[in-house]
Amino acid sequence: MTETILEVKDLTKIYDDRPVVDGISFNVKKGEVFGILGPNGAGKTTTLEMIETMRPIDGGSITICGLDVASQPQEVKAVIGVQPQTAAFQDKQKLHEIIEMFAAAYGEKVNPWEFLEDVQLGEKAGAYAESLSGGQRQRLSIATALVHSPKVFFLDEPTTGLDPQARRNLWDLIKEVNARGVTVILTTHYLDEAELLCDRVAIMDRGKIIAMDTPKKLIKQLLDKGFKKEQHVEQANLEDVFIDLTGKGLRD
Amino acid sequence: MTLKQQLRTVLIFTKLSTKRFFRDKLALFFGVLFPLIFLFVFGSMSKGNTDTNFRVAIFNQSKTQYSQQFTKQLTDSKTFKVQKDVRDMAAAKDKMAKSQLDGIIVLPEQFGTVDQAVNHPKGVVQVMYSQGNANTGQTLIAVLNGMVSGMNAHLLGAQPPLAVQPAPVNDHHLTAFDYTFAGLLGFSIIGIGIFGPINVFPELKKQGILRRLHTTPLRVWQYFMATMFSQALTGLVGVAAQFAVAIAVFKLNVAGNWFEIIAFTVLGIFMILGIGLAVGGWAKNERQAAPLANAVVFPMMFLSGTFFPRFLMPQWLQNVSDYLPLTPVIDGLRLLTTEGVHLINLGHQLLLIGIWTLVIYVIAFRVFRWE
Repeated sequence: MTETILEVKDLTKIYDDRPVVDGISFNVKKGEVFGILGPNGAGKTTTLEMIETMRPIDGGSITICGLDVASQPQEVKAVIGVQPQTAAFQDKQKLHEIIEMFAAAYGEKVNPWEFLEDVQLGEKAGAYAESLSGGQRQRLSIATALVHSPKVFFLDEPTTGLDPQARRNLWDLIKEVNARGVTVILTTHYLDEAELLCDRVAIMDRGKIIAMDTPKKLIKQLLDKGFKKEQHVEQANLEDVFIDLTGKGLRD
Repeated sequence: MTLKQQLRTVLIFTKLSTKRFFRDKLALFFGVLFPLIFLFVFGSMSKGNTDTNFRVAIFNQSKTQYSQQFTKQLTDSKTFKVQKDVRDMAAAKDKMAKSQLDGIIVLPEQFGTVDQAVNHPKGVVQVMYSQGNANTGQTLIAVLNGMVSGMNAHLLGAQPPLAVQPAPVNDHHLTAFDYTFAGLLGFSIIGIGIFGPINVFPELKKQGILRRLHTTPLRVWQYFMATMFSQALTGLVGVAAQFAVAIAVFKLNVAGNWFEIIAFTVLGIFMILGIGLAVGGWAKNERQAAPLANAVVFPMMFLSGTFFPRFLMPQWLQNVSDYLPLTPVIDGLRLLTTEGVHLINLGHQLLLIGIWTLVIYVIAFRVFRWE
């Protein structure tokens, strides 16, 4: 039995007398990739932000790496890496300086070039952040979140707005980070992404978790209920065509 | 994190944001070039005021040789700026009504005719001045009187029994430019300390950059301190440029000690920056930042002696403006720079700056929001 790294208990967030997150509980094990799925407004981002110490907790508790989020936010921040929904950086700042800055924010001293190599931005080390494409910016953002070797890595809708090549590249990157032993918790609306990346997913709607299991088991449960999808005989879809035509290589 | 590590973080943030400043053309323009433009404009204006002169029109209706000599003497004199483009009396009166002329000097037809009995020229100089500007008129008349008595003495060849002997004393006289310069330094400190943060912070919040930093263990005090250091560094560059221009172009005479001037400037930047950090750190967006910043900056700008000296204000207003945060900065800078006073004698100013710095930063820490 692997140890639990994140424990969420009866977590509640209330905005304008309405519970946005309504008493949810879940655990994440060390080394897992855990996905939180749900339509817009389901409470995914709010849940993530409370775990990341960014929003006050209105009810319940969160323990991460044995630290209580509500009472030890500074300690929690030191063990987690956060990738926000939109990756923005100040203008006129070189990539290696951005890495240096984030490392400094965590009290660390790192070799920025190494971290940029890891996300395939080594050649861009001397470029300004504003010259990067969307996918490159996401990769830079991932690099900045890993400068302090966090134990848990949070990604909020990491591939929204990226082209298919950049998405695939980012998936590979997330798998690599996970392979190094980092626990990954992400939110997404893309179900193919969740199916491919996540060991387990929680599906949220209206502030509650309505299902939680491995993607395979969730699908099996549905099929066991007698669900039948309209049969598709095609062995490929339009995305396969697109990737076949344009190649897997990154474009930026 | 140990304190040493935390301070190292501050130094790295300082280094990186100072580098950014020098790459940002817009920041350079507003931080360095913009105050220089003001310096040139206000400097040239107050420079013209330092030597007294009168703008006059002369109408010589006499044909005598002496009247021409007299006119030439006025024209050559540095005290008078004879406006030669004023053709007729109507134009002259119109100009005088618009304060573009200080007086009109008329030499009547008979002026300078030689009186055969005493063998020297006689005449009456007529001076017209605007009643709305009686002070200047009186001074003009006094100056002309002085000139004429000198001539009389020369013509009569006699020493008048009573005379006035002028003796200029070099007593560290403050020129209008000295006041203007300290005020403009104050203005540029406002530009660096207030207009910088109130424009930058809401933008950083909008893009989520501050929020991203907030997910790290970085503390508000570290972020503030790094901002203070880098703003002080970049601010000193702007101030140095102003000193260079003031000395080279406007002949500013720096009587004080440079080290003290730098130290005092840094204290001033720290305090004023606190206002920018409070307003910019509190505001969620530009719409909140701009009105509040204007409400704080404008009274300070006009009452603390940035563009015109405070001694021109009524006493009660001076009493009030004494306690504005920018006033001790501008007064202190002027005293240090042009009057050669030492920091140790600026207790009043330093105390005010200290109190304001404390109050401002307590507020800034309390109202700061990362998003």
